[in-house]
Amino acid sequence: MATYSNQCAIVGVGENKRSRKSGATPLHMALTAARNALADAGLEANDLDGIMNYSTGGDSCPSHELATFLGCHPKYVKDVSGGGSSTELLIADAVALIEAGMLNTVLIYRSMNGSSGHQVGRGYDPNMLQEMLPGGSFLMPYGTASPTQWFGMFATRHMQQTGITKEHLGHVCISFYEHAQRNPDAFLHGKPLDMETYLATPDISSPFNIHDCCVELDEANAIIVTSAANAKNCKSKPVFIAGMAPRTTHSNVHYWTQVDEVASDYAAAELYRSAGVKPEDIQVAAIYDCFSWVVLRQLEAYGFAKRGEVGDFVAAGNLKMGGLLPSNTAGGMLSEGYTHGMNNVLELVRQLRHDYKETNRQVKNCELGIATGWAGPDMAGAMILRN
Amino acid sequence: MSTKTEYEKPIPLKNGDNQPYWDAADQHELKLQKCAACRSFIHPPGPACPTCGNPETEWELLGSDISATVYSYVVSYRPFLPGFQHDLPTIITVASLDAAPEVKLMANIINCDAKTVKIGMPLKMTWVDITEDRALPQWVSAKE
Ligand SMILES: [Zn+2]
Repeated sequence: MATYSNQCAIVGVGENKRSRKSGATPLHMALTAARNALADAGLEANDLDGIMNYSTGGDSCPSHELATFLGCHPKYVKDVSGGGSSTELLIADAVALIEAGMLNTVLIYRSMNGSSGHQVGRGYDPNMLQEMLPGGSFLMPYGTASPTQWFGMFATRHMQQTGITKEHLGHVCISFYEHAQRNPDAFLHGKPLDMETYLATPDISSPFNIHDCCVELDEANAIIVTSAANAKNCKSKPVFIAGMAPRTTHSNVHYWTQVDEVASDYAAAELYRSAGVKPEDIQVAAIYDCFSWVVLRQLEAYGFAKRGEVGDFVAAGNLKMGGLLPSNTAGGMLSEGYTHGMNNVLELVRQLRHDYKETNRQVKNCELGIATGWAGPDMAGAMILRN
Repeated sequence: MSTKTEYEKPIPLKNGDNQPYWDAADQHELKLQKCAACRSFIHPPGPACPTCGNPETEWELLGSDISATVYSYVVSYRPFLPGFQHDLPTIITVASLDAAPEVKLMANIINCDAKTVKIGMPLKMTWVDITEDRALPQWVSAKE
């Protein structure tokens, strides 16, 4: 196990109400999420000495601004550009700063008008994209501007090589939509999905139809990390950070010419070593799900099913309640909401605290969970949490 | 003034790193950047070699007879950028060059029924004149 293992804990989680049109600024939404996380932990804004956030193309508000209107002056603020895996990587930064003795308690948030504001992969000036994205002039002239297309290139070849079918993608979507029907705060609550409907839905860009893609919404989430010692004074049941692993692979950020491996393949071994556990010990999961196939690829990478058997694993219902690995149990980004992964981590924390005890939402007796982040095939960040 | 219909899609922007590639494309030729130290091809071009980090690079002309095979592909049914609404569905492939299989070039497969595209399908490079002085490398099926 790593030296930092179980020395820090997540003690607070919170969000604002997600919607298609918030009518609020990212600052307003972040304030609501931060106040809810503080209340969850039983902490005051002045207890925070670090605040961090991630954003894509400047779609959030700066940490210093959030601090201003929480009425506090933390020692340390940090705003990074990032999407998937940034939740895990900023939690890693917080743990390192706490373990170094520089900070005590850190709030990490993600706030975005992902529906009414700017949407990932849409509405940008094509020439700006050519200049902004590395290799952009080799992508945009061919109409390649969307993550559906970038990740689809990996999916097409992987599906052909490992026997994954469109039905298998459908099982991922249907499993997560089923979770969403138990979560009144999920965006697609009340909108279940069956295989017939799924298969009848035309592709946006192969192999993905609308159900294979995450729901883009206006939403803010917040997480509070503190030392295990401080956690004893918090109101909530602490969820300890048992292990973590970051990883990049591939040359270039969007022009990927090698689709046979992904960063998650390399993050897995370090992740399990750092926490001193094995894949079969994990009881509940938050698997990054910007697209259905990304879940299948990570199930393979993190050792939950062998290459070639991942489709059967999800078809057998293993991502559902009562399965071997209940995953994204609030509905995931495919049907609950989308904050580049943070909403999935909030749900994992709630499962490990047994917040849903005595209801049909609780994964029974879960003590150990995994959160996987996917910034792309080329960048991963993952962590293992225990209660 | 050109009498041709105005080209609506993004036109490749030249910069200090990629200019030799696009200048050659305008002449209907493929030119690739190469590392002067480890001899790896560098694509897309850049300020150094991603394989070894060496900053000295040179350019190699591969000519106009370029064959490749489909390494992977997607078929897009919606336009994500201007101009593509006229060309749906759009087939985008990453194709592995026969002369250097480790080099993979992304482009559309044009004049092709999307249902016939398969991994391993043989391709030939063609160049489409998109403005009076610019041309865009594209792939066509080699079976024709
Ligand atoms: Zn080199």
